[in-house]
Amino acid sequence: MTYRSGTPANVEALDRPDKVAATLVRLRRMVSWHVIAPPLVFFAILLVVGIANPAYLGPFGISIATTSAAPILLVALGQAMVLNTGSIDLSNAAIALFGAIIFALTIPDAGIVAMIAVLIVLTLIGAVNGAILAYTQVPSFALTLGTLGILQTAALVTSGSETIYVSENRDLVTALHTIKVLSVPLTFWIGVFAAIFFWALLRFTIIGQNMTAVGKNESGAILSAVPNKQAKIIAFAISGFASGLAGLAIVAQAGSASASGLGSNLLLPGIAAALVGGTSISGGQANPINVVFGALTVAFVPIAAQALGFGAQAQSLVYGIFIIVIVALTTSRTRGAVIK
Amino acid sequence: MTSVMHEDGPRGAAGMKRNGSASMRRLFAEGAKGPIGLLAALVVLIVVFSFLNPRFASIENLQNVLFQVSVPLILVVGATLVIQMGSIDLSIEGIMGAAGMTWILLSPNTRTMIDLGLWAWLIALVLGMSLGLMTGVIYAKLKVPSFVVSLGTWYVGLGIAILLYGNNSLPSLTSEALARWPTGLTLGLPHAFWLAALVLLFGLLISNYTNLGRGLMAIGNNEPIARMSGMPVNVYKIGAFAIAGLLGGLAGILATMQLGSGSTDIGFGQLFVVIPAAVIGGTALGGGEGGMIRSALGVVLLIILNNGLVLAGVDPDYQSGVFGLILLFAIIAVAWPERGRLKVAK
Amino acid sequence: MKPDAPVVLRLTNVSRSFGKIKAVRSVSLEIRKGEVIGLTGENGAGKSTLLKILAGIERPDEGRMEINGKVANFKGPNDALKAGVGVVHQEQSLFTNLTVAENIEHQNIERQGLSRFGIHDWGRINREAQKVLEKIGVDLDSRTRVGDLGFVDRQMVEIARAVSVNPDKSGTPLIILDEPTAVLEQAEVEVLEREIRKLREFASVIFVSHRLDEVLRICDRVVVMRHGELTSDRLTEGVTKDELFRAMVHETPSVAMRSRAAPSKEGQAAIEVRNLTRHGRFDNVSFAVRPGEIVALVGTNGSGRGALARALFGAETFDAGTIEVNGKAVSRWTIAKAVRAGLAYVPAERKVEGMIGGYPGTRNIALVHPEHARVGPFLRPRKMAHIAQQWFNRLGVSPNDIHQPLAQFSGGNQQKVVLAKWLNNPELKVLILDHPLRGLDVGVSQAVNREIRKACDNGTAVVLIPDTIEEALEMADEILVLKDGRVSARHDMRSAGELDVREIVSEMV
Repeated sequence: MTYRSGTPANVEALDRPDKVAATLVRLRRMVSWHVIAPPLVFFAILLVVGIANPAYLGPFGISIATTSAAPILLVALGQAMVLNTGSIDLSNAAIALFGAIIFALTIPDAGIVAMIAVLIVLTLIGAVNGAILAYTQVPSFALTLGTLGILQTAALVTSGSETIYVSENRDLVTALHTIKVLSVPLTFWIGVFAAIFFWALLRFTIIGQNMTAVGKNESGAILSAVPNKQAKIIAFAISGFASGLAGLAIVAQAGSASASGLGSNLLLPGIAAALVGGTSISGGQANPINVVFGALTVAFVPIAAQALGFGAQAQSLVYGIFIIVIVALTTSRTRGAVIK
Repeated sequence: MTSVMHEDGPRGAAGMKRNGSASMRRLFAEGAKGPIGLLAALVVLIVVFSFLNPRFASIENLQNVLFQVSVPLILVVGATLVIQMGSIDLSIEGIMGAAGMTWILLSPNTRTMIDLGLWAWLIALVLGMSLGLMTGVIYAKLKVPSFVVSLGTWYVGLGIAILLYGNNSLPSLTSEALARWPTGLTLGLPHAFWLAALVLLFGLLISNYTNLGRGLMAIGNNEPIARMSGMPVNVYKIGAFAIAGLLGGLAGILATMQLGSGSTDIGFGQLFVVIPAAVIGGTALGGGEGGMIRSALGVVLLIILNNGLVLAGVDPDYQSGVFGLILLFAIIAVAWPERGRLKVAK
Repeated sequence: MKPDAPVVLRLTNVSRSFGKIKAVRSVSLEIRKGEVIGLTGENGAGKSTLLKILAGIERPDEGRMEINGKVANFKGPNDALKAGVGVVHQEQSLFTNLTVAENIEHQNIERQGLSRFGIHDWGRINREAQKVLEKIGVDLDSRTRVGDLGFVDRQMVEIARAVSVNPDKSGTPLIILDEPTAVLEQAEVEVLEREIRKLREFASVIFVSHRLDEVLRICDRVVVMRHGELTSDRLTEGVTKDELFRAMVHETPSVAMRSRAAPSKEGQAAIEVRNLTRHGRFDNVSFAVRPGEIVALVGTNGSGRGALARALFGAETFDAGTIEVNGKAVSRWTIAKAVRAGLAYVPAERKVEGMIGGYPGTRNIALVHPEHARVGPFLRPRKMAHIAQQWFNRLGVSPNDIHQPLAQFSGGNQQKVVLAKWLNNPELKVLILDHPLRGLDVGVSQAVNREIRKACDNGTAVVLIPDTIEEALEMADEILVLKDGRVSARHDMRSAGELDVREIVSEMV
């Protein structure tokens, strides 16, 4: 019987790999498909639009695309964080819309204080979602479908089914939309900063490591003493917070909010952007920075449709097909697993 | 001596059966979670609402309730088949939009000068079924979780409706006969309800008397065993979604007829009636449980609740909130006894 | 049984290998009509693989299988069922939400005309099922929901289904009962025994069990397997338990192959349990493990030792009794508290429970005790890599790449990383190991055992659930034998003079 695995010679041989080859292996690993695909897809769609209508590649086009991408990006970032833990948040777009309405209601009176207070409240709503999921162990899609209904009612009731215009302090909030850096409005820059922040959270912190571990293999995480409940609550709280920022972006762009106005249809674009951004529907895989490209791609869909001569009406159809195709292409399938 | 026991299954039952009291026990066990509980809740609601507003118990209002019940009743038959096998269909609102819009544009209306008569029905129903078929094939063959596929189908359906609607004027039904048909009464009951009742009967037949229906129950209970014993699991799965799509199309047509004009949002809010109704009817989201009658009672319960609240002066805006809350409580009540330290909740 | 009864099953030199492991080696066996055969052997002796071959789940690599005189070439479990082979598994294969009749007849509905134009004729289905139940002599209403039945009744339904599917009514059904009594109470076992005797009149039965008393009581013939081979095939009459033990267990030197100094029996226990009970799993278990000691929990698959290990780690709850860690009784015990108190748990299901396959070695090792590589809430990637590299070098993980996802490693190397994850804690007090060597080759096994011993030398207490009794004899200072959730024997290896595997097996079954 030989001690094959532990002999010093063996270890040394493996310890002294070709440095160049090792670097190549690591490089190849970093540049895996879901890392480079999102920017590639984005630049492909950009190319299509650019050929059809070069005006869209100028400052004007950039401004339009990033403006409509901003709320999608923010909602998608929260969704990506939730998907990363293996759950889904169907209520995040409703949180954004409800948030937009209470921003519009409170900002005239309380200004910045209102913004902060509302963001805190929305973060808490997300955290409650996460806590119910963690402690009652219900399926997240059903749970958040329920909260989606409650939030729809909340949006209708708080707005009295009317459009709420921001009268006082209007400039305070619309500045986020009107101030542009490199033709890109502040709302989108907020999304970019949030993406970098969430990326760093996932990559460099213990909490982020735990969230991804729960998404990759919850049983394994639980038995490694990973606080799985905490991870879920934080992911959903982040989703609430990001949706709140999306609500702010909606109010900034429109100067008003209503239950059926701008931003009332963010759920699917948000999920699509997260998925196009390389987030896995089965959990454990998310790169918030790539979600930026995902959101831009999704925002470009109606623009591209128009540039190619289709009406803007094709939007829903395209989003629906997008989701199905992307998920069908990226789902990881294990033999014999039961898919519900 | 207590020996090591198997994880599932009521072990006492064997002994109970032998001493003869099992049939009684079973009756009560099923009664508590089955129709008796639901019926009791229904009676309580009816009594309370009758006190709050005498108009509630009027013949007109009851006919109105049955009229409102029809569309979700048709939908819940398909949804129950899908949930019984442990999957979920979120696409009904989109399918309703696509089929309803298709139907009205091919029937006598104010926009297109086309009247295909029965062909309009057929084309709209086939469209609904194809969308369901698409969901089912992608779910069963490509192994994509059903909630994502059907979410996609929802928007595909909605997109089709929006494209058909275009930028033109609102299509309204011009045929008086068609517009009045749903509200017309036969034996005191609205035609829309008769249609729904017929669909329910069809659902009962499928669910209780065919290989498909029984196979879906088996899949929901234990899919690996179903595969092992040679059931065509994928065919059944696709079949369930196809039927759900077909019924979604029918519901879309009926709803369009009831409204008298085409709308892309014709299905708005139905998801919040149908899924909570199936869940409170005892169709656990995990699959393998529940039945058509119970789901139907769930629908009636929710519609009566909504109708009663509106008559009691509650704003209709509260509808989705109330139904959302009911869904929340229903799924938590189902999941509560099943909690465990190592259970994975996604 | 008459000696000239027709042969129902004939196996000729059937073999099946998994990779390098020969699970079934050239097994030949004949079973005649009306015979009840007992099949027994240790865990891993090849019984379950043989059953899977008979049930059509696995296909033999070589050899010939004849059932009722016809060569059987099963492509799937359904073929086996159609040929009249019905396997009643420990994990039952019934639909609990459907009725008894439906479970028995669902595969016959189309073939036997129990539906008209696709519409089921429930009256006929129920009657047909009732006939089958009567045939096997079971008093059950075929309209009962299976979920409402007790365990024995469910087993009878499985038997009824196996009998009903047999299309060739002249052929004799072969019913295989896989450890049917492992989960039953005494009274239920007696009911089952009666039912099996009735089956004899029209079927042949293979009864698989660890429990020799039952095998001797119920069966006409006993067949013993060891390391994939048939080592004994004898009529029950005149055979003794001792002869069977000898067939089950390889002759091994009875002295333990211990290779380290015996730790002291004195002093404060690192973990001590008193009267620990979880209803239906384990009952009134008490033992203590001192720093440096290895206590092995030995028992069959249903003995409750896995659940006990999980309860120690806070992964499952318990109903009564106490756990003391370092002399302090714990309350509201959870995994988080257990890990903080210095406990570690290596689960048997490595890929699902032991590790995060999508994470590389660095993150897997940092997952449990991130405190060794962090600044506040932040991880220190360089420190993580440094720690992981040290462990990879020390345990000889191959390939030596700390950034490669763990799922891409072989089982042995995965297990080394799982071990490293827990050993990466200077405060490690108690190491709980559930089948740590499962599926590992000899070299890796020795490396793992070396690390376990090293941890002991550093004062860690070890609770070990071994794959084999030999493993327990090699590693343990104390052996606890569990049977049906209770401690049936204890052996202190420091004072035990002569102890051999056979003795322990006799205490397990």
